[in-house]
Amino acid sequence: MKRIGTALAAILMIGSGLVSAGAATLRVGIQDDPDALDPALSGTYSGRFVFAALCDKLVDISPDLKIVPQLAEAWDWAADGKSVTFTLRKNVTFHDGTAFDAAAVKFNIERMKTMPDSKRKAELAPIVSVEALAADKVKFNLSEPFVPLLANLSDRAGMMVSPKAATERAGEFAAAPVCAGPYQFVERKSRDLIRLKKYPGYWNAGAVGYDEVVYYYVPDSTVRLSRVRAGDLELAERVAPTDLKTVRDDPNLTLHAGQGLAVSHLMFNVGAGAKADTPLGKNPTLRQAFELAIDRNVINRVAFNGEFLADNQMIPPSSPFYDSAHKAPARDVAKAKALIAAAGMTRVPVEISYENAAGDSRVAQIMQSMAAEAGFDVKLLPMETTTAIERYLNGNFEAYIGNWSGRPDPDPTLVAFFSCSGSQNVNKYCNKDLDAILTQARGEADDAKRKALYAKATDIYLTALSSIPLYHPNWFFAARKSVGGIVMVPDGLLRLVGVKPTN
Amino acid sequence: MSTIEAAPVPAQMRAAGRSEIRRLLREPSALIGGAIILFFVILAVFAAWIAPYDPNAPDWIAIRAAPNAAHWFGTDDLGRDVLSRVIFGTQASLAAGLVSVTVAVLIGLPFGLVAGYFGGVTDMVISRVADALLACPFLVLAIALAAFLGPSLQNAMIAIGISAIPVFVRVARAETLVVCTEDYIAAARAQGLGHVAILTGQVLPNVLAPTIVQATLTMAIAVLAEASLAFLGLGQLPPAPSWGAMLDVARQFLGEAPWMALFPGLAIIALVIGFNLIGDGLNSALNPRH
Repeated sequence: MKRIGTALAAILMIGSGLVSAGAATLRVGIQDDPDALDPALSGTYSGRFVFAALCDKLVDISPDLKIVPQLAEAWDWAADGKSVTFTLRKNVTFHDGTAFDAAAVKFNIERMKTMPDSKRKAELAPIVSVEALAADKVKFNLSEPFVPLLANLSDRAGMMVSPKAATERAGEFAAAPVCAGPYQFVERKSRDLIRLKKYPGYWNAGAVGYDEVVYYYVPDSTVRLSRVRAGDLELAERVAPTDLKTVRDDPNLTLHAGQGLAVSHLMFNVGAGAKADTPLGKNPTLRQAFELAIDRNVINRVAFNGEFLADNQMIPPSSPFYDSAHKAPARDVAKAKALIAAAGMTRVPVEISYENAAGDSRVAQIMQSMAAEAGFDVKLLPMETTTAIERYLNGNFEAYIGNWSGRPDPDPTLVAFFSCSGSQNVNKYCNKDLDAILTQARGEADDAKRKALYAKATDIYLTALSSIPLYHPNWFFAARKSVGGIVMVPDGLLRLVGVKPTN
Repeated sequence: MSTIEAAPVPAQMRAAGRSEIRRLLREPSALIGGAIILFFVILAVFAAWIAPYDPNAPDWIAIRAAPNAAHWFGTDDLGRDVLSRVIFGTQASLAAGLVSVTVAVLIGLPFGLVAGYFGGVTDMVISRVADALLACPFLVLAIALAAFLGPSLQNAMIAIGISAIPVFVRVARAETLVVCTEDYIAAARAQGLGHVAILTGQVLPNVLAPTIVQATLTMAIAVLAEASLAFLGLGQLPPAPSWGAMLDVARQFLGEAPWMALFPGLAIIALVIGFNLIGDGLNSALNPRH
């Protein structure tokens, strides 16, 4: 009998051991399958989401959008703003055991600037050269004062990969990335999962709470949430606003919500090819009428249960550079009609294209209905993702509901959409005065002066209305109560340092 | 010669037609199916008078309202009356069924007749093309075509119609092969009638019955296909109501607003059952083997 008892006790111990071993795995449901897992090549949010566990950056951003140290402990701008010197953290190693030092930083910046397919070239363009002054000192020389550089380095452009791995496996680095983050790469099954394990040599290993983290690709947000509720996942990113009640009502779940940087906006083709030749494309007054015809608060309430932030600017209110003087105009159908009449029209046709996703589809139909009251005959053209992106990039649309992930600094967003040669300026808006202001702002180290410049820029783009910003999505993660230490940051990336099982 | 004169085929067909209608009226499944289809046809034709609300008019303060006295079927995610949208959605479903099957019959039937009648190389070419199209599952082909043509009800109907063509080629060809062995065809040839006259006057009337049965059954499939394409965003453009698109939106609110899915779902089931019942009834009434 005693033997049986001992055997049972042994089985129970083994069982509890298995349970605790299982509990040290964090299973995360992500909406998209990331693209190349190489910071130089990555172009997706889901890729950045995984990098947050895999690759540390020179600097990070805090929840209040301040630049904080990560692999660089300190930095010092030259008086003329044309160089910045970083003091690097000591005793940091990459996942292959090689040392992280000034030479590695130089290698990484040069790699991202010269690699043929690198998507980081624009973000690092102002860097002319990198000098390794000492093992822990590295100096970036710039072609012009460029204040947003630090914000750029808080994202993929600042992620450091192992020079040894990147050189030896140059062509296939993305298949097994080697960085200096809290977790190291184990395996990837395409369109299924990405498995990482804790890197014991991490500089802040004591704050890493899970032995393993697995990202499962679960495209449907309702399914992601169901799997968290069933205990099949510990965390789901991007829970749909319409599902938040379910999360709040579930005693096993915690809703982690945070303001985001992203913006959803209605772009009008004002200069790209034949599709720009429309009443709304040619006449800013009509675009103003369109803005007055819609009610952003209704869009937010109906399409997103009021969980997002209705707003009229590309920069979210959480940014220190947000211009609170430019309030969103209230809906005014009578004034919209008057503006249409002033433009010599009674009915204004417009075709709105969008990616056929639930949120955009609802927003489009709400706008269609509201704008019709003022005199806009809106035709909706939903498209599947590939076609939508292709048409967007080619400026093949009259109006398009764009979704931009945003950046911590206003410069990348405003330059991308409103400078004459901006990378996202697919609707071909161009204003030389605005270009000059944006160039001046990126060289202005004084925050107050910089804010004043962005206020001028806001005034210009909100008058031209080549794009009508509609709302800023907030971030919603649903996690089981057993996951502690989650901190929401406006970039919507899940930082795993400090995240631990609570039981 | 007298034998031929004694058996004028069209007259025989007309007589058979009357008796078949009588047989059809005695088929309970055909009657029930017919009643269901008639009900939906009335809904579609008189939608503007029957529906209590404009199907596209949103009510921003009645979002996803449960069924109540004002909205019998509740409202959807934009506060639109689900009952009105189900009623107007009938138009898209019936149009898809009728138009796509008509397209398929108008193209498939002549090819099937020609293949069966002439045989040889003509038959081989037509049959292989039909086989190749049949090798691709119906819905997959329809989705591929609709995705290629772009989202709209018209394109969805074309895609479904093209996908259904090979079925009619096969049915018409098989029946033609049987009919061509009949004595009256030999007699017609002996009379010196031309191919066109024989095909239209002698073969076609005898191939029509199974084609009609097949067309009715294919309409059920076409209705489902239209709903599937709309569900995938390849059908009717928003905000025009379509049962499949309504189900797609409702899917996101199954837990909190099940009425959004229930009523369009029931409508699809009812219409498909209607077409299937009437197809079975027609099969019993028209198939000479019964």
